Amino acid sequence: MRKYLLSAIALLSLGAVAPLTAQTPSDAIMMKQKELCFALIYDHGSWNQYWEGTYLRSNQTVATLTRKMVMPMVAIGIMDQLNLFVGMPFVKTESSEPNGGRFQGVQGFQDLNIAVKYEMLKKQLGKGKLAVLATGGYATPITNYLSDYRPYSIGNGTNELSVRGISEYKLDKGPYARVAVAYLFRGQTKAERDYYYNNGSYYTPWMDVPDAWEINGVAGIWMLDNSLKVEVNYYGLKSTSGDDVRPYNAPQPTNKVQFDQVGFLGQYYVKKVKGLGVLAYYNQVVNGRNWGKFSSFGVGGTYQFKI
Amino acid sequence: MKKNSVASCICVCICMLFITSCEDELPTMANYSAYAFAGLDVNGGSWTPILLTNSDQISVATPAAVTSSEYVAELASLKSTMASLKSDQRRAIEYWTNNPILRWNEITLELIAKYNLIPGPNDDGTYTLPNAAAPEGPPAFPFAHPPYAVRALAYLSVAQFDGLITAWHYKYTFNRPAPYQVDNSINSAYNQNNLPSYPSDGAVLATSARDILTVMFPLEKEYLKGKAEEHLKSLIWAGINVASDIAAGEFIGTEVAKLALDRASKDGMNKAQCPKSVSDSIKAAAFNRFGWQWDNLELPTRPVGLAPLFGKVKLWNVPTVEEVRPGVPPAPGSIEYNASLKELVDIQNHMTEEKRRIANYWQDGLSTYTPPGHWNKIAKDYLLKYKGNPLRAARTFAYLNMAMMDGGISCWDTKYYYHYPRPIQQIPGFKTIAGTPNFPSYTSGHSVFSSSGAEVLAYIFPAEASQVRAWAVEAAESRIYGGIHWRFDAEVGTTQGKNVAKYTIDRAKQDGAN
Repeated sequence: MRKYLLSAIALLSLGAVAPLTAQTPSDAIMMKQKELCFALIYDHGSWNQYWEGTYLRSNQTVATLTRKMVMPMVAIGIMDQLNLFVGMPFVKTESSEPNGGRFQGVQGFQDLNIAVKYEMLKKQLGKGKLAVLATGGYATPITNYLSDYRPYSIGNGTNELSVRGISEYKLDKGPYARVAVAYLFRGQTKAERDYYYNNGSYYTPWMDVPDAWEINGVAGIWMLDNSLKVEVNYYGLKSTSGDDVRPYNAPQPTNKVQFDQVGFLGQYYVKKVKGLGVLAYYNQVVNGRNWGKFSSFGVGGTYQFKI
Repeated sequence: MKKNSVASCICVCICMLFITSCEDELPTMANYSAYAFAGLDVNGGSWTPILLTNSDQISVATPAAVTSSEYVAELASLKSTMASLKSDQRRAIEYWTNNPILRWNEITLELIAKYNLIPGPNDDGTYTLPNAAAPEGPPAFPFAHPPYAVRALAYLSVAQFDGLITAWHYKYTFNRPAPYQVDNSINSAYNQNNLPSYPSDGAVLATSARDILTVMFPLEKEYLKGKAEEHLKSLIWAGINVASDIAAGEFIGTEVAKLALDRASKDGMNKAQCPKSVSDSIKAAAFNRFGWQWDNLELPTRPVGLAPLFGKVKLWNVPTVEEVRPGVPPAPGSIEYNASLKELVDIQNHMTEEKRRIANYWQDGLSTYTPPGHWNKIAKDYLLKYKGNPLRAARTFAYLNMAMMDGGISCWDTKYYYHYPRPIQQIPGFKTIAGTPNFPSYTSGHSVFSSSGAEVLAYIFPAEASQVRAWAVEAAESRIYGGIHWRFDAEVGTTQGKNVAKYTIDRAKQDGAN
């Protein structure tokens, strides 16, 4: 039962970091009571094209945008059916050289992400196990980063509440499939100006960050005596409202962000060191709206032990 | 287990309610209703207009007496319309209020923000400029950058000021009372007062705004027509004007708009965005004179800066642009230059939250109402605070926008005369938190626009003088914090704006309004 790591990554991405990490948002594995896990993941994403509305373009003002993240995280087994996750990503953004904009990149801690996962059902069904889980998450900015500085902003700068349903079916032989659907309730973010244009004038520093649906589908298999897991995944984020990036203009937090991303992930539990796991993944955004065509990879390690 | 699920479900629902209840409706316009004016300016018809030679240059027929059958019929029609108002008509009454010049100013600011988009490069690295002859583009016409914006605001405001002086003149010549004074069974939607109703001041504002803004923003023709129609109808729905009051106001608005647009067609703006050959010779002249030149560093490079000949556009109140041109900026390598360079590097290396906030607050960049728009917004707030009537509001906007347009012209003259390089051109590896604009550095446009605007507001609202001047200094400083201007750009620009505004204020002092 130490193979719960993905749920930890997942829950990190519940927060405003979701569109940034676009990690596997959740899994069906639970940690037992009094188990504790630390994780550290490094994520490197970049794009040299982005969607202005639905039009895919490049822009030498930005050239290639790079976003690096370090995500420290802790997961705690409160009960066998109830796990708690806390994460706090550090994000750094910058443009490649040369670029025509000469804009400063940004770095800093982003949002505090807290989530709980509850196992509602787990039972043998035919030749495998069916699990149904629900998670609830909350994210809130922990530094005064400016959300209204896209594409360099490190987050949405608003509180986010998320609810997610997860269902997984895993054959006893190793293959599994999982679907998770979440709704992200997002609040408002405060800009440092008191007028902006969002298909019309707004005389306020507050900007509505659109709510979003998040859809995740995974197919994978456990191998090598349950020490190696490989999977392919799909991640989709769909804002429910918002405006489009204006021609040759900077994005802003009110934008209708949507994208589809595919990726694969491998995770290995080191047999010689009890409790230690490593992982690596690669993701590619394949379709989007008001979002960068990110390619990203990540590597990380986890260490789990009993209190 | 089941109980737990229900409990967590309820918990989540409560949390959702909490989050959504925090999301108040965000304001898309000034939140004000009709109000009692601080004064009616009974002598407003004797004030000196800007474009008109006097207040009866546009002649309006003597209205029918309130006892005439024509008037009685108009009044009956007004009453029957008012008796069956629908909810959208009531919303229109609420929206336009009894000081609708503020709404037309907001509409203008919104159009500025909508069209304030810099054209991007084509796939082959060339740039296509907006074209007034084919406004659909792409790119759409206009690019409502700060000089374009301040010019649109100036013509609108001057026309409305002259139009209302004319309306006031005839109001107090003919003294035709408002419908609610003729028939006290009429319950007008706005505060009742003794302002004569013929010609309608609202109709002057609606038609002059429609006609001027349609030329400035040709793709908005239908939108503006719709807005003006609603405004004109709302004057009857609100019970403040009968049809013949409105017709006379429309005539004045149309005529005064023609005068303003005639001046605009000949003020030199259509030559401001000059061809590359002219732009190159301006740059070479500066290099020969001073030994430096500003270069655009965008990728791909823009061949011509923004409006190099805007400095040659016709001024409102300053006789010649040369007499307000500041002296030569510090040469690169000089002590003052080196001090400014060090300051810029220090600020960017140790950015504070306060400096970042100021840089962003005054940035008023692309897709916003620009710095002149920001100062119109500030003027609007003061007009509401001091309960100005439409004529006072028109006067405030007219002098404010004339001074800022003169300031912009003077600033652009200075920019292209000295052609001084931006910090990113001079400091290797320098990065900024604000976008570096496509025109030379010295002097700062924000500084000149802001201090010229602030001086006019300080004159009109003396109790606010120290506040607006402090804001102008902050707006100037904001460009240093943004990393896109030298300190001397900002400081000399602030002085320049004050000097330019003095000409407009001298004119205001003699217009008879005091």
